Amino acid sequence: MTDHVVRLYAAAAALVAFFLAWAGIAARPWSPPPRDPQLAALDRQEQRLRRDLGLAQQVVDRRWAAYRATLAGQRAAAAVAARPPAPPVRVVTLPPVATTRSS
Amino acid sequence: MLRRRFHAMGTEMELVLDASPGLEALRAIAAAEQEIRRLERLLSRFDRGSELSRLNARGAMEVGAELLALVELALAAREQTGGRFDPTVHDALVTAGYDRSFDRLEADGRHEPSGPVRCGGGVHVEAAASRISLEPGVRLDLGGLAKGYAADRAAAILEDAGDCLVDAGGDIAVCGGPWPIGVETAGGMLTLELADGAIATSGRDRRRWMHNGAEQHHLIDPSTGRPAAGGLLRVTVVATRAAEAEVLAKELFLAGVPAAALQADTRGLPAVLVTDAGETLLAGGLA
Repeated sequence: MTDHVVRLYAAAAALVAFFLAWAGIAARPWSPPPRDPQLAALDRQEQRLRRDLGLAQQVVDRRWAAYRATLAGQRAAAAVAARPPAPPVRVVTLPPVATTRSS
Repeated sequence: MLRRRFHAMGTEMELVLDASPGLEALRAIAAAEQEIRRLERLLSRFDRGSELSRLNARGAMEVGAELLALVELALAAREQTGGRFDPTVHDALVTAGYDRSFDRLEADGRHEPSGPVRCGGGVHVEAAASRISLEPGVRLDLGGLAKGYAADRAAAILEDAGDCLVDAGGDIAVCGGPWPIGVETAGGMLTLELADGAIATSGRDRRRWMHNGAEQHHLIDPSTGRPAAGGLLRVTVVATRAAEAEVLAKELFLAGVPAAALQADTRGLPAVLVTDAGETLLAGGLA
């Protein structure tokens, strides 16, 4: 092979390499692939549902707390109503047999 | 009149029986003392061998019927008082420095209180399985309730031998009577005459200590995890049972002034309130 033929092959190979590189760069392999519109719609729906779930949970938590408070109040009232009346007691001027103190 | 004084549950106990000193009366006194000591072995948080301490250490276990009933009673009291009475204040008490019996606390003089501790943790009672489970980090203190319960139990034993009075470190249960019982007020001693009932006092005038210029005491406010400060020095309440009186006294103490007097009046709880300002209020029909 003469030098002329070698130069011709080298030029052709460089040209091929150039176009391959161009094609590779033009394909932008580093950028994310285009999203499936259906998947994107599903993602949006999921985010909306999550937001709605959070709001619903807040409402449920508020109602649960209110229910617990009401229940506790009713139970306390029922306990007070069910409690036997305090025994009769009166203030006297006798000396005490024992003295109550902080236990 | 027979009297027997002894030390138990970290405080002074007194049994008074209005009966002639025969064998039956002496046996009743001995049985009542034995009952109090048995309850101390069962319910003390300072005795590592007590059933309560074992439950606190393990977090969950099968327990005897008496501890089960008392924990159920304490949980019912927690609900009825809106959390003002709470058996889960154990760690808050320890953090405030009350980590050993008060006798030893006074003797050692070493107190290292730190920040507040969360109270109101979960306690699950499975009555059918006689099992109690504590949420991680939750431990129980039945101190005041245990004393009231002990007074009630001892009075029930003595009652068969005659009119009686049981003083469990200030929680007093009486059968028969009437019995004159002293209440310390800002202006001196007040005497209440009581028959077949109980009286208990909660206050920060005893079982207290100083640290860095700040007073610490044993009445923990479960909502803050720290010793309570509601403008009251001491609250005395009359009820049918000493355990109940103990719960009510603690509830009113934590309610503070002026709510405590209002609640006592509304609910018909005979109560004597002594405020930090040195005022004595009679409420709940006392006059």
